[in-house]
Amino acid sequence: MEEALYKERVENLLEFILKKCLWQFHSRAWDRERQNTNIIEKTTQILCEEPVNKDTPEDRCYYVDAAYLAENYKKRFPWVAEIDKTELKKVMQGLKEKLDFVLITGSLNKELTDPHY
Amino acid sequence: MPYHLFKCSECIPEREKHAVIKGHGETLTDALPLGYLNTIPGSISERGCAYCGAKHVIGTPMKDVIHMSHGPIGCTYDTWQTKRYLSDNDNFQLKYTFATDMKESNIVFGAEKILKKNILEAFKAFPNIKRMTIYQTCASALIGDDIGAIAQEVMDEMPDVDIFVCNSPGFGGPSQSGGHHKINIAWMNQKVGTFEPEITSDYVINYVGEYNIQGDQEVMQDFFERMGIQVLSTFTGNGSYDGLRAMHKAHLNVLECARSAEYICNELRVRYGIPRLDIDGFGFEPLSTSLRKIAMFFGIEERAEAIIEEETKRWEPELLWYKERLKGKKVCLWPGGSKLWHWANVIHEEMGLEVVSVYTKFGHQGDMEKGISRCEEGALAIDDPNELEGLEAMDELEPDIIFTGKRPGEVAKKIRVPYLNAHAYHNGPWKGYEGWVRFARDVYNGIYSPIHELASLNISRDEIPQDKGFMTQRLISDVNLPEEIKNSTVLREYTGEYDAMKRLKDRVYPEFPRKSEEVKDVVAI
Repeated sequence: MEEALYKERVENLLEFILKKCLWQFHSRAWDRERQNTNIIEKTTQILCEEPVNKDTPEDRCYYVDAAYLAENYKKRFPWVAEIDKTELKKVMQGLKEKLDFVLITGSLNKELTDPHY
Repeated sequence: MPYHLFKCSECIPEREKHAVIKGHGETLTDALPLGYLNTIPGSISERGCAYCGAKHVIGTPMKDVIHMSHGPIGCTYDTWQTKRYLSDNDNFQLKYTFATDMKESNIVFGAEKILKKNILEAFKAFPNIKRMTIYQTCASALIGDDIGAIAQEVMDEMPDVDIFVCNSPGFGGPSQSGGHHKINIAWMNQKVGTFEPEITSDYVINYVGEYNIQGDQEVMQDFFERMGIQVLSTFTGNGSYDGLRAMHKAHLNVLECARSAEYICNELRVRYGIPRLDIDGFGFEPLSTSLRKIAMFFGIEERAEAIIEEETKRWEPELLWYKERLKGKKVCLWPGGSKLWHWANVIHEEMGLEVVSVYTKFGHQGDMEKGISRCEEGALAIDDPNELEGLEAMDELEPDIIFTGKRPGEVAKKIRVPYLNAHAYHNGPWKGYEGWVRFARDVYNGIYSPIHELASLNISRDEIPQDKGFMTQRLISDVNLPEEIKNSTVLREYTGEYDAMKRLKDRVYPEFPRKSEEVKDVVAI
């Protein structure tokens, strides 16, 4: 996959999350990291038709957000179903890194590091 | 995303970091308005105080409770009946308000005695109400009255009553949001875990951050009950005091207004392991998604699908009727804290409105992250605006309507911009499928009211047309519509009843058989 196409795909997936989801906006950095890690991981597993852990209530909660994301990615971006799984995982990894940057490491939100809720 | 300094605020240069224009190709890492800071001296803010945020927004929607302010009568008067959070017990908490009526002599000699006298009098006057909340105010906080001690004294003397004390004086934060925070944490620390509820379903939720404005909570509860889900508590609209003491027994926290109530969800997750699911109850697509997610969590997807299909079929033709007539209309989305992100994208997609500005009076930077992400490029995002900035923004952006509170709303009317009450609504409920159509109808009525034809004329400046007759709403709204839309036999105006809540009261809910005890334990882990 060319770099420009890779970037465009990451941007498309990110834009959907920012416009349509709420789970990525928890108020503290550690919660955003936890949410991003688990939901993107489960979304990737669903898209790659790998087993997804749904054993605990916490896992099921991540799963429902991941399932919504995976369904919409398939519906809105036909390339998601068409590209090789290794390439898809690379895009999803890029998405996770971009999401972490925009909402955690590069964020201008000064509340993220407040130690209390 | 350049920061934006209003001309009227050039004398308050610190204000520049509180407004941002969403630019092309830029991200939240380029610019983000400051938020949740003390209002800059000289900027006339539109915010409320921390006492108001605790009592008015979160405490008083609880329905079976005597809500008492320990302070001057004005504090209670100004937080009484100013928001339409209904309840299904004949609106007890809206009809009656209580205050200790502190006077100067109490400031000098202390007010604990009159506090106790008032508590006893209130319980005597309403012998069927056994629960009370007491709200500290600036005055009682500054003289150091020990409200907790007095409440405990009364509970010792009257074992059948329970009292919650909220120490959130007006000065306890930069805005009402400080009060939201304080009451969340206080309720968690004092009351959650002190009541054992009856569990009637395999699927149990807390519905959090929902205040039953004009019946919103009852609309959502109707969906949940149709799905066989027990709403153990609602924090706090139409919620009962004891239900909220039992929040620790739910399987899932369904969070609507994260701005006012994410704190308690976070604490419930950490202390009791109950997961937090953020949802949008406004708009067809977001609401359908929310119902699907909740159903998927419990493995009852088909129950959600049945509701979504029935409701969409019934109400979509009416939503589309309004969308055709609202397309391209410009709106300033200027609510308090959470609706800027609940609505920013969905009113664009489902009503065709163009959001030219979002603002928040008491939101934090996290709310701005959500709001800016969800609105379109070019929108002006403002934190804690003052009245002059609001006027300057309306002058520049020329919105067709604004959604805001009644104070800035009345200002907008003066410059002939119609407004809808984003906090207490016009003709709600606005949640649910029918509610969303009612909102679209209110937007339509606001924009196309024939009064604007006359009100926009300045009799000392404009020539008054003598040759034009009265224009109805339809004549104004349909003037440029294609014939097939104008005469569509599919699309139609709102056909619901004046009181949208009436049909819910007669609803008979399906009974779903419970799973075995063994399975139940697994679900409840």
